[in-house]
Amino acid sequence: MTAHVSARDAVGTSTTAVPLRRQRGGGSGLPSGKGGGLADILGVGPPVVLFLLFIVVPMIVAIALSFTTWNGVGNPTWAGLSNWSKFFGDPTAHSSIWITIQIVVLSYVIQTPISIGLGLFTAGKQRYRTVYATIFVLPLLLSTAGIALMWESFLDPTFGALVPFFSQSWLSDPNSQLYALILIIAWQFIPFHTLLYAVGRRQVPAVLYEAARIDGAGPVQMFWKVTLPQLRYTFVTSGILMVTGSLTYFDIIYIMTKNTPGTQNLSLDMYVTAFSATEFGYSSVLAVVLGVVGIAVAVGLVRFSGFGRMQSQQEGVN
Amino acid sequence: MRSSSRALAAVAVAAAVATGAAACSSGSSSSSSNATSSSSSAASGSSSSAPTASLTMWVDTTGPSPANTALQDLAKSFDQSHPGDNINVQLIPDAQIKTKLQTAMGAGNEPQMFWTWGGGPLQSFIKAGKVTSLGTTESAPYLKQFLPSTLGAVTVNGQVYGVPVEGTQPVYFFYNKKVFSQNNLTFPKTFKDLLSDVATLKSKGVIPISLGEADQWPGLMYIEYLADRIGGPSVASALQSGTAGAWSNPAITQALTDIQALVKAGAFGTNYNSTHFNGQSDALVYSGKAAMQLMGDWDISSIEGTDPSFVTSGNLGMAPFPSVEGGSGDPADLAGNTASYESISTNVTPAQKAVAEEFLSTMITSPDYTAAEVKAGEVPAVSGASSLFTGNLAEFDTTIYNSVQSAPNFQYSWDQALPPAQATPMLSNLQQIFNLKETPAQFVAAMNAVK
Repeated sequence: MTAHVSARDAVGTSTTAVPLRRQRGGGSGLPSGKGGGLADILGVGPPVVLFLLFIVVPMIVAIALSFTTWNGVGNPTWAGLSNWSKFFGDPTAHSSIWITIQIVVLSYVIQTPISIGLGLFTAGKQRYRTVYATIFVLPLLLSTAGIALMWESFLDPTFGALVPFFSQSWLSDPNSQLYALILIIAWQFIPFHTLLYAVGRRQVPAVLYEAARIDGAGPVQMFWKVTLPQLRYTFVTSGILMVTGSLTYFDIIYIMTKNTPGTQNLSLDMYVTAFSATEFGYSSVLAVVLGVVGIAVAVGLVRFSGFGRMQSQQEGVN
Repeated sequence: MRSSSRALAAVAVAAAVATGAAACSSGSSSSSSNATSSSSSAASGSSSSAPTASLTMWVDTTGPSPANTALQDLAKSFDQSHPGDNINVQLIPDAQIKTKLQTAMGAGNEPQMFWTWGGGPLQSFIKAGKVTSLGTTESAPYLKQFLPSTLGAVTVNGQVYGVPVEGTQPVYFFYNKKVFSQNNLTFPKTFKDLLSDVATLKSKGVIPISLGEADQWPGLMYIEYLADRIGGPSVASALQSGTAGAWSNPAITQALTDIQALVKAGAFGTNYNSTHFNGQSDALVYSGKAAMQLMGDWDISSIEGTDPSFVTSGNLGMAPFPSVEGGSGDPADLAGNTASYESISTNVTPAQKAVAEEFLSTMITSPDYTAAEVKAGEVPAVSGASSLFTGNLAEFDTTIYNSVQSAPNFQYSWDQALPPAQATPMLSNLQQIFNLKETPAQFVAAMNAVK
């Protein structure tokens, strides 16, 4: 699970989501009648097979492995519920769950307002804003490893660029390291969400603002009564990506602080348990927990946010 | 109907997004598709000589190093002197080699010869029937050419499962002689003297000890040495053999308390937790910002590589870990990596096994290779090498070689000696000790809880 994958998916959904209209009246969408024709099977088959092969089967294998003891070599041995009972009493797992929650909540709280602000700013038509937009989007061009190494050497308390001014171990002081990481993750992803909001804002028809102005609305009222409601689906799309992305976030934490106890989230805990401690059985427990929570959160967000019922709000306008 | 199918699609998408990570953890066994075992054991010449074979040998690399080149050259000269045989050396980056080997072993496509540091990880492969025994020192007399203390890490029940291919790597204190003489200090012989030197150096604005704890393993050397100096070799051997409650040994608690005494005295400065070994902790020592560093003997060539004049001008000092007052351990005991090894897997044809054994028994112990190792800056784990040390580093090499030969006990690095399931939590709990975030009692309880 990398953020890149979800980011790429997001570009797809965000561009298609807004114009999507509710199908009114019967049968205009899908080819009606016969059903189950060879063409349908050929069309649906490959994605279904890929989905089963790469998502469902590994998930089932992980569930099965969670009831075994296996070091990756030789055959797994049946361990009953011992891995699961270990999970409920494991302080490391509990701390990684708490860290994961902190990362998800703080990432959302920090990234959303900044992205909206920057997005609205860069959506303006003035030329200098285009220049700023280009600068803001630059982090998107950097690889995750590059970002991590750059910030690590920048913040290094002994050899870093900031040493002439102050020497503070942001990344290793147990009191600050998690928050330093969350800010760096925000730095990495805010440009992407800024882009989403900028595009969303540009799709709000000017008519609405004209109408509001005629009704006597000021800039603040226009922001609350026109811009924000119109950005509702951008808000949902960006929120789902942020939450699911930060829930399983891995790369920067792995590169910058490895398995330092103070920053180890659930996906890192899972990786370390599997590939460093070679306890594949127990790590499968963590994987199943992460998978189930991830699916639950994603389904919950999709259902309750209206993502699934997404429709154009521009009917009658264009 | 439509809305439910759309919800289903949404669930599917959500599941795809969310389970990518889960899928990663379980199904990734076939990532390394190394085309090994091209078992061309069909004797081409149909002559009466031994059957020929090609095989792959994995070698750890931290970047192009003279030691890697020496081993590659050795394989080449083996190919030339054994027509029809081919040993294909594959350099695997150090950061990946353990995971890669574990994955390959699990998938059954491991190379015929693989790199190991022995200890716990090798034992788990031996238990799974993945390693070919080379015999005992009686049945395979060539094994007697290696320094006895270096074979312990690859010996199980008298059977030897690997051969040291690169040098022995004990740990010493490396110090900046200039910093010590400027402050009228000599290198401390006891832990008490170390603490008082720490206080002096700190008051002079020098970081007393450079520590790259961002990498976690450098901190381990302190508990290894302190536990040995306080409680003797039995402390570590009880951990290795998995004796119940082995972590509760008072020597471990004392060692952890001593580590925290150093931390509280400011021995490591304030930034040790974000300092790495690579390039950073060395730089502090040769630049004079820090006075000393506890490190494996590879530190000599590492410092020489970045600041040769520091070594040639005689500023680099080397000293054994101080003794601890009232401790029962011998101050001549060593800790570190006894050696790096090559083992033969069980993924071999009889012809490949014969070729691999021929390579290990005749080539690795050859005087030419020993000389090449010394030239590459290694201290070979073979007996009779003392006359080979020449040049800038001869003094260091001779001291190391002699101390390995005379050490009553050469304790193997715990992160290699212990099974991975213990080594991983040990390193992160120890980091908490250095952070003063965990008490010795909490460390002991946490480690005893790991089965």
